[in-house]
Amino acid sequence: MKDSDSKNAPISTDRRRVLMGLGAAGAAVAGASLTGNAFAATAPAQVTEAPKSEKTQDHNAFHGLHQNGIVNPRPAAGMMVSFDVLAQDREDLERMFRTLNERITFLMTGGAVPQVDPKLPPLDSGILGPVVTPDNLTITVSVGDSLFDDRFGLESVKPKRLQRMVGFPNDALEADCCHGDLSIQFCSNAPDSNIHALRDIVKNLPDLLLVRWKQEGTVPAQAPLKPGQAPESARNFLGFRDGSANPDSNNQKTMNELVWVQPGSDEPAWAANGSYQAVRIIRNFVERWDRTPLQEQEAIFGRVKTTGAPMDGKTEADVPNYHNDPAGKITKLDSHIRLANPRTAETQRNLILRRPFNYSNGVNKNGQLDMGLLFICYQADLEKGFITVQTRLNGEPLEEYLKPIGGGYFFTLPGVVDSNDFIGRSLLAASAHTTKTA
Amino acid sequence: MKKSPLALLLTFGVLQTSMSAFAATAPLDLVTPVSDYKIYVTENVDTLAADTQKFTDAIKKGDLATAKKLFPTTRLSYESIEPIAELFSDLDASIDSREDDHENGVKAEDFTGFHRLEYALFSQNTTKDQGVFADKLLADVKELQSRIAGITFPPEKVVGGAAALMEEVAATKLSGEEDRYSHTDLYDFQGNVDGSKKIVDLFKPQLEQSDKAFVAKVEKNFATVDKILAKYKTKDGGYETYDKVKEQDRKALAGPVNTLAEDLSQMRGKLGLN
Ligand code: HEM
Ligand SMILES: [Cu+2]
Repeated sequence: MKDSDSKNAPISTDRRRVLMGLGAAGAAVAGASLTGNAFAATAPAQVTEAPKSEKTQDHNAFHGLHQNGIVNPRPAAGMMVSFDVLAQDREDLERMFRTLNERITFLMTGGAVPQVDPKLPPLDSGILGPVVTPDNLTITVSVGDSLFDDRFGLESVKPKRLQRMVGFPNDALEADCCHGDLSIQFCSNAPDSNIHALRDIVKNLPDLLLVRWKQEGTVPAQAPLKPGQAPESARNFLGFRDGSANPDSNNQKTMNELVWVQPGSDEPAWAANGSYQAVRIIRNFVERWDRTPLQEQEAIFGRVKTTGAPMDGKTEADVPNYHNDPAGKITKLDSHIRLANPRTAETQRNLILRRPFNYSNGVNKNGQLDMGLLFICYQADLEKGFITVQTRLNGEPLEEYLKPIGGGYFFTLPGVVDSNDFIGRSLLAASAHTTKTA
Repeated sequence: MKKSPLALLLTFGVLQTSMSAFAATAPLDLVTPVSDYKIYVTENVDTLAADTQKFTDAIKKGDLATAKKLFPTTRLSYESIEPIAELFSDLDASIDSREDDHENGVKAEDFTGFHRLEYALFSQNTTKDQGVFADKLLADVKELQSRIAGITFPPEKVVGGAAALMEEVAATKLSGEEDRYSHTDLYDFQGNVDGSKKIVDLFKPQLEQSDKAFVAKVEKNFATVDKILAKYKTKDGGYETYDKVKEQDRKALAGPVNTLAEDLSQMRGKLGLN
């Protein structure tokens, strides 16, 4: 799906070496550059020289059976934006989906921005320059429960398990950060690429979409793998590797079972190949966490902090054996991972695909850091997935360090199969049909 | 069918031409609307000065009820000429700055003007010790009046003012942040919208020459805004407080307001102004 995947890894390591060599040689040319041009090819980097990335041309396909941005590897920057839909009628709603489709097609592909008369505002914010680079961007569109109210005649085709998120016992939901008619998940290599895409959408749909809330997050980059080394997950803001026990996103069969609504299921036919998206903005009390003994931290998660291995394992990929530990002597019964996934035959159907980002927003009134996890997960069945897992987690010891403050439930629309199709088409078509025959 | 800004430009063939698609409107064509606008602004600033006199008199007499009643209507004419008033940034700050424009909030020494008095009247529920602020406001408004009389209006500021007013609505009125103690935001809202619409009306003949569809779309959105605002008119010709505005109507206002801000941002260019 990504053009430059194959050539990227070797090139980046080579360039790295070249760049490092240049650094050492820098001293020799420093004298010359004092009098010379700051941009001279051999000069050491200037303070404002831009960081380099070989991945700005990476791009993901927009067309496909499923939307992109769910099973593809999560890049360094993520952003979840929830919108109120301002469309007044079905005609407006269709225009909204078609315009979104047009913008997403351009943004995920990249290309030159058309120039207009300089007396007019430019068509594009320009923050990626005159030629937009895709930078591994995916834009994933989902719809909320409230879109199926009486405004657009969509009531009868609502996905069966789509509902308004209700607070769990440990939640302190803030109305300004919850729910929405529509969510858009932006993922790319850099926050600026996500922001560029959001600003494009805001500019092109002012009468149709109003931003309700937004949360950005990041995934810290890991050092390149040494030959033969197994991949390791990035760490979250509690310092633990996050993602270790996720289902295999490259396994089509597993994804069909756990993530994608299947044709012929009890969901409305139009929803096939979509998915349920659960979003949670979960604040972490990091000062308090950093004052917690290591062994307690590890007991709370059920994993070793340095390696990410389960309590009875050596490496992150090892699978914990709860069968041999029925009393929770090794992995506590109320540890996060054991509650989240007890690994019994019956709980296999509760597996979810997590795609989280770390967020950091500023400081609270009391001088504590406002940061945490932008938790995003996908599943074919919202009730068997997120809701069941979160219900099992209610009361877990980790809660002392967490406060979920926002988020919502959405249904991720089926993919756009080709250029005759557009995002949301199957939903509109299905409800047009029911209105006619009703 | 309505279109996205990009789609609109594509339709009008702007993308094919390289630069400068819009011929500058002949300077003569701008003389009438600009001088008509100056009359409009002058009338409004005269009203503002007369109203401010009454408003500040009430405060100095200690007549809290009258002062509260006059607060929103007095501001209305200021809000409708904001693009010109803002040309004098020192006066705009002392007349119309809000608590959060000041690091020290209400305690800031240079927090003066309408919103400082609003704080006393509606939050502290008093006129006590407000004489200095009342005098300062009246003096500032009179200064504004004389400065406006003395300037020539730059056409690009006048035309750009239509969008600037809608940006003002989008940024502070939709959220109800402007009049946070009195909740009389709808008066300001109406003032901004009227001021913006006035500018569009004055330049309508010139705009229609280049783009009839643009004018029709803009007028439709103004009409939608007016229709929603009208729901909140009270019998005495005033407006309900902003907390009464239904969530649904706030959202219904956001669409046309943001679209007006977006569309009117093209007005200067469409008239060929720099
Ligand atoms: C700020 C909040 C959270 C933090 C810091 C956190 C952290 C972690 C960590 C460190 C792991 C172990 C490594 C891994 O398998 O990825 C983990 C696993 C897991 N978490 Fe969370 N998590 C949070 C919230 C949630 C929520 C809200 C859910 C779902 C309701 C959830 C579901 C899971 C699941 C299913 C696993 C995998 C368990 C397994 O299969 O062994 N987590 N989490
Ligand atoms: Cu104002």
